[in-house]
Amino acid sequence: MNDKKKLVVSSAPHLRDKGTVGNAMRDVFIALIPVSLVSIYFFHWYAAITIGVCLLTAVLTEVLFRKMLKKEPTLHDWSALLTGLFVALLFPATTPWWKAAIATFIAVGIAKELMGGLGRNRFNPALFGRVALIILAPLISFIDNQFAALYINLGTVDVMTQATPLAMLHQGMEMPGYGELFFAFPGGALGETSPFFLLIGAAYLFYKGHIGWRIPVSILGTVVVLTLLLGENPLHHLLVGSLALGAFFMATDWVTSPFTNRGKVIFGIAIGALVILFRVGLAPTEGVAFGILIMNGFVPMIENATTRYQFGRVRKAVAVTSGEE
Amino acid sequence: MEVKAFLGGINVPHYKSFSEKQEIKEIKLPQQIIIPLSQHIGAPCQPLVREGDRVKAGQKIGDSDSFVSAPVHASLSGTVSSIEDKKIHSGEKVQCIVIDVDKKQESIEYADNDLEKVSKEDIVKAVKEAGIVGMGGAAFPTAVKIQPPPDKPVDALILNGCECEPYLTCDHRIMLEKAEELLQGVKLLQKVLDVKKAYICIEDNKMDAISELSEKNDDPGIVIMKTPTKYPQGAEKQLIKATLDREVPPGGLPFDVGALVQNVGTAVAVYEAVKYNKPLLERVVTVTGQNIAEPGNIMVKIGTPLEHLLNECGGIKEEPAKVVMGGPMTGVAQEDLEVPVVKAITGITVLPPAMAFGELEYMECVRCGKCVEDCPMLLYPNQISIYGEAGMYEQAEKWNTMDCIECGICAYVCPAQRPIVKFVQQAKPQIQNLQNSRNNT
Repeated sequence: MNDKKKLVVSSAPHLRDKGTVGNAMRDVFIALIPVSLVSIYFFHWYAAITIGVCLLTAVLTEVLFRKMLKKEPTLHDWSALLTGLFVALLFPATTPWWKAAIATFIAVGIAKELMGGLGRNRFNPALFGRVALIILAPLISFIDNQFAALYINLGTVDVMTQATPLAMLHQGMEMPGYGELFFAFPGGALGETSPFFLLIGAAYLFYKGHIGWRIPVSILGTVVVLTLLLGENPLHHLLVGSLALGAFFMATDWVTSPFTNRGKVIFGIAIGALVILFRVGLAPTEGVAFGILIMNGFVPMIENATTRYQFGRVRKAVAVTSGEE
Repeated sequence: MEVKAFLGGINVPHYKSFSEKQEIKEIKLPQQIIIPLSQHIGAPCQPLVREGDRVKAGQKIGDSDSFVSAPVHASLSGTVSSIEDKKIHSGEKVQCIVIDVDKKQESIEYADNDLEKVSKEDIVKAVKEAGIVGMGGAAFPTAVKIQPPPDKPVDALILNGCECEPYLTCDHRIMLEKAEELLQGVKLLQKVLDVKKAYICIEDNKMDAISELSEKNDDPGIVIMKTPTKYPQGAEKQLIKATLDREVPPGGLPFDVGALVQNVGTAVAVYEAVKYNKPLLERVVTVTGQNIAEPGNIMVKIGTPLEHLLNECGGIKEEPAKVVMGGPMTGVAQEDLEVPVVKAITGITVLPPAMAFGELEYMECVRCGKCVEDCPMLLYPNQISIYGEAGMYEQAEKWNTMDCIECGICAYVCPAQRPIVKFVQQAKPQIQNLQNSRNNT
């Protein structure tokens, strides 16, 4: 009985919840599969190739950058794959594959890994990659002109050439029916094809406890209020563009949203206001992307302004009764 | 009577079924006992015996002149074999009196006092002499606690029978099997504190204890309170908030809001001390977990080596195991089994290989906010862990690290597996140093 027992030690607590970052990221990936399938249904190989290229580029970029930074690859946390899928969903099917690849490279390599890796990035990597391509427009058109051979012709898909609902809305064209816009309508980025299937994914994430109600509700609520005030049709604004994708999946990104409850509401209201500012006042596209990215920058400030009192910072004096109650 | 809730907190799996139906029982005496001279918060005791001395069960063998301290007693009769520094469950080395236990036991004589006639002074003296400390795990000397400063009147006594830690059932069994003694102990505490109202708080996963005590209680001054089952319901500040809707201020004590909290086991010990002059030489310890052959609630002599206790419960089933002194949320995992059971040990949780993880590999904080959502002290454990990890203790102080009660919820929910409690424990003494040096200049 004297032989030493094999005992394991660690710091408390000795029980842990099952949820891990990898599981959560994987769940978000799963939640985006329905809308991805809708986009493939509409755009066939164009959508599938965009998604495939982005996923592959994301994985290769993460391995490359982490090798360069002499860190272990962390593909098991699903964050690279998820960023890749997000980037794909932010582009229309007409986007050449190499553009999506460059955006993914910037998203995973620069916006995430060079910022210090998952958890330290201040800006949503996928949105950063998407917007970087807009800023890098001269470079993109240079590549465009020099390397026409990069295009792959997969035949034509009719729906790809029609105006996006967001553009229709901006130009005052006649809009498709609400039902069509809500359930599935081809046009715009891959992730804009179906608010309905995005909502199913969001419901799954809500059920799993990965996203809360505060950010999406404050974004969508603000959009409704502002559009009513401006005399616009709130339903159209809710259903078109990447608002649903942004409000439920991208603004709720753990790393780049405030961790205070009041901060989440302020963050959401500001994003909603920016989206409407961009859509009604400025360029009709990428209002959601710019709105979220701008507010990502304000997160530390919002957090500092909205911290709660710790337990026991009593706001009223305690009446100690002597004896009888 | 129902209670208000506190903010934060989570539901953790209870794992109470291993031992909740097991009656309190005795085990075979160990051959040797190890009595640490410091089993409490406050000044350590000085030994009152020498190597080779014969001691009786119940004899005082260590004491201190300090106000904040508690004497220690031989829990069994025998011969003092050595007085030496030994490692205890917290990992510290503490001066211990080692006693070789006699085959034939010899005890001090116990009194049988009339509880109607005891004065406040008698109660304080009996509690002090018995070496009673908070038995819920905090180990603060009870004699000190029942003498609140005159400028801080106490109007509510709370008896903590929540037992919110998973696995543990010792308080549950005490409430079921020693209800009379408990109620007598509560009355003594009410008397010494001059408090008319006492609340016995029990989580609603122990309905049998609630009905047992409600049945036995005939005193309108004692209220049996059903609290929701939510971790950490039994944490002192959260329990006061839930019972009285009062918040103990940061850095403050329950006195500051007119409350005093005692564990139910402590109340029983107070009763035994006042009634029989019986020192705290044994306590109920839950030996439990998936990986112990015969889980149970054991009346253990203070100083019993852990290994003896585990062997008497059928031993560890599978290795590698994790043996936790206390419950799994706040307890300390043990490297070896030679450490003694002391006054504040509520249970031994023996976890199976599948649950016996070592330090987990962790990631950067991904700012998910789950710890913020669930922190019962309304802190920001995410920030504390980031600054604690980076050694930025002034920042950690600003995020109120010192208010942390180390309940373990943040680390439990953290999807990045960050050892947040460990960071807090590392930061606290550093912040204390910062505060001290600031006060000195």
